[in-house]
Formats: sequence, structure tokens, C-alpha cells
Amino acid sequence: MKLAKYVKFREEKFGGVLFETRSEKVFTLNPTATAVVREIQAGSDEREIPSRLKARYRDDGDAIEREAQAFIAELRQKGLVED
Amino acid sequence: MSIPASTPAATGSGDLGAPLYIAWQVTNECNLACLHCIEESGPGKAFPDELDDDEVFAVLEQVMDLEVPYLSFSGGEPMVHRRFFDMAEFVCRRNGQLKVETNGHYLGPENCARLKDIGVKAVQVSLDGATRETFNRMRVRGNFDTAVQGVKNLRAAGVPIEINYSPTSFNAHEIGAAVDLAAELGAYSFYTGRTMYTGNAVKTWHRMAPSEDQYGPFFETLHRKTEEYRDRMRVHFHEMGLLEELRYRLHHPAALLIVLPNGLVKLINALPFVCGDLRRQTLAEIWGRFQRAWQDPRVARFVDELATDPRKTATLHQWIYL
Repeated sequence: MKLAKYVKFREEKFGGVLFETRSEKVFTLNPTATAVVREIQAGSDEREIPSRLKARYRDDGDAIEREAQAFIAELRQKGLVED
Repeated sequence: MSIPASTPAATGSGDLGAPLYIAWQVTNECNLACLHCIEESGPGKAFPDELDDDEVFAVLEQVMDLEVPYLSFSGGEPMVHRRFFDMAEFVCRRNGQLKVETNGHYLGPENCARLKDIGVKAVQVSLDGATRETFNRMRVRGNFDTAVQGVKNLRAAGVPIEINYSPTSFNAHEIGAAVDLAAELGAYSFYTGRTMYTGNAVKTWHRMAPSEDQYGPFFETLHRKTEEYRDRMRVHFHEMGLLEELRYRLHHPAALLIVLPNGLVKLINALPFVCGDLRRQTLAEIWGRFQRAWQDPRVARFVDELATDPRKTATLHQWIYL
């Protein structure tokens, strides 16, 4: 999985932004979503990203994992990522 | 999780570390002399102090270093700039997304193939008319057939196409046919809005300004066409008047910088205020100044005065330095 052809990512103090330049839509990202995009850019396996974030942020529950899974699903649904 | 979507124009600039979009008028020179041109471009109209090659590439370097994701080259006619292709290549090689806004008269097969190779995100062509008669009347020295052939050449080369349309009293009725033509030519986006009273339009307003009676059916048609082409071509249009738009911007400045051919940076095209000079300040410094400049009381006062005197837009080229 990688960012779609017309999608640009930039980190910001609050997290990050994704800019889909074909539709000219901007998506503002919180820190968890930003961490997911960083993983995507690094070439991480989609299935491993939620658990990697869970470990990195030492989340004892499953909040980050669920948030990351939902975000990845949303990225797919909006066409912001491609295989 | 839900990721909120907006557009660069609707995205507040306040929390961002850099602009999301830079609209760069690379030269004021143009092969045409259009009736409505807001920049008063035309043959021999290059500014005497336009950025030189070294300055141009130094600015581009900063744009890329700040990771500005989206850049457009316009003019004048950007394709007459002596280093146009080098500039486009520089941006795309650094993974910038570049849109070229052109009148379509330099889009021969060879140039289109080059644009494709370079990897521009899109080329936006101005087609202000669905017929030769209206287009040629509006685009003085221009030729409808040349522009349409240019769009066909883009399509053949595989370059994504956008079409821009400025309404006038004599072409507003063609808007439906113009949207159809854009779709037929393979465009993925169509842009239009209200023609502004500034630049060349100040001199030609009496013979080209659409009336409110014309704008009514014009926008009705656009609403209909938006639905008709849903999922095939995006039809974008700004129905809002300039005053409403500027009042909104006072509180929500867009994450967008307008760079003039001489390196001056404007707050927004529809205001005369300049917030920086790329010959004197870095792009990062100007981004900081941009945020503060919107708070300058002279900006709000100018917008207030527009409510009683809409013709103040005639002075947009008399720059006011903040």
C-alpha cells in the first residue's frame, strides 16, 4: 500500500495534512493518523501498522489499534491510498 | 476516525507551517490581450523587473524545501516564459504537483508530449466560449480552433485536462454547451465563477459584463451540469460574490500565496495588499508575515469600502505594502 498518485503528505505541529491535488481536497490529520501515514510511506505492511502503533505508543487497551484500522479503511474508501 | 476534508482555499492558514498552495504568475507577458484579463497581460506587458533565472530557481528551491504540495504556473501566459519547461521539470523532479494554467495556444503535440514526460499534474486551458465567435471576441488575438486543438493534443499525450471559463454578456448563454465541450474533450474538471471588475475588464466592462439576469440562468445551468456530469467530470463554480468571499477570507485566510512575476507576494488576488517580497525575504518569513497581514486594519477597511464602492477593485494593481 502507498499513497495514491495525486496525494501529498506533510507533517505539521498538530499532526499532518494530506492533500489530494486532483480533487483539491485537504485532509487534516491528528497525531495517530499522521503516524499511520508515516508507516505507509515507510512501506510497512498494512496489516502490521495498527499493532506497530499500539506497541510504539505503549497502549495497553486497543484504542490506538482500532483508530489506526478505522483510519486505514477510510483512506481506502476515499481513494487516498493504492496498492 | 473521520478525517475532515476541505479545500486549500477553505483550509485555515493559521496552524500550518507553510502554504498548501502557491499560485505563481511567472510572467505578465502574453500572446493574447483578452478583454477580461485581470492581470492586464498582453504582448509587451512583461513587468520590467520580473525575477531573473537565478531568482526564479532560488524561489522554487524554497518552495520545495518547505514541502509546499501544490503549485500552479500562470501569467500572463506561462508557456512564453523562456525557462518554462525547466521550471516545470524542476518542480516535478522534486515530487511537487504542478498545474499549468494556459490559454492553450502553445499546446502543439511536441509540447504536450514534453508536459506528459515531465509529469505535470494537470494543464488548465481557458476556453471562454463554446463557439469560435464568442471565444475569439473575448480572447483578442486568440483562436478558438488553436485552443481546442491544444486540448485535443493534451488528451492524445495523456495529460490531465482542466477547463476554465470566464462569463461575459456575450458568452454566458453558452455555458451549458461549454461544459459539454469540456467533457467531450476529455477534461476531468471545469472551473468558472463571476468575472471580476479589474484589470482589462475595467476598460471593457460596459461591453462584456454579464448582468444579474444572465448570472441567474448561468448558475442554474451549472447546478444542472454538476449533476449531469457527476462521476465523470467535476464542475466547480463560485456563485458567491466577491464581497462575501472577502468577508469570509478576513476570518479564514486561505493557505495560499499569490506570487507575482517580480517576486512580490499578495494576500489574495482580489485585494491590492502585498505582504512580502521574495527578493528581500525568504518564503518562510513571508508565510509568517502573511498570517499577520490579514489582521492589518487596512485590509478590513478596504473590504468594508467595497460594500459601498464595488468599483474599488479597479485599483487592485496599485499595490499597498503591509
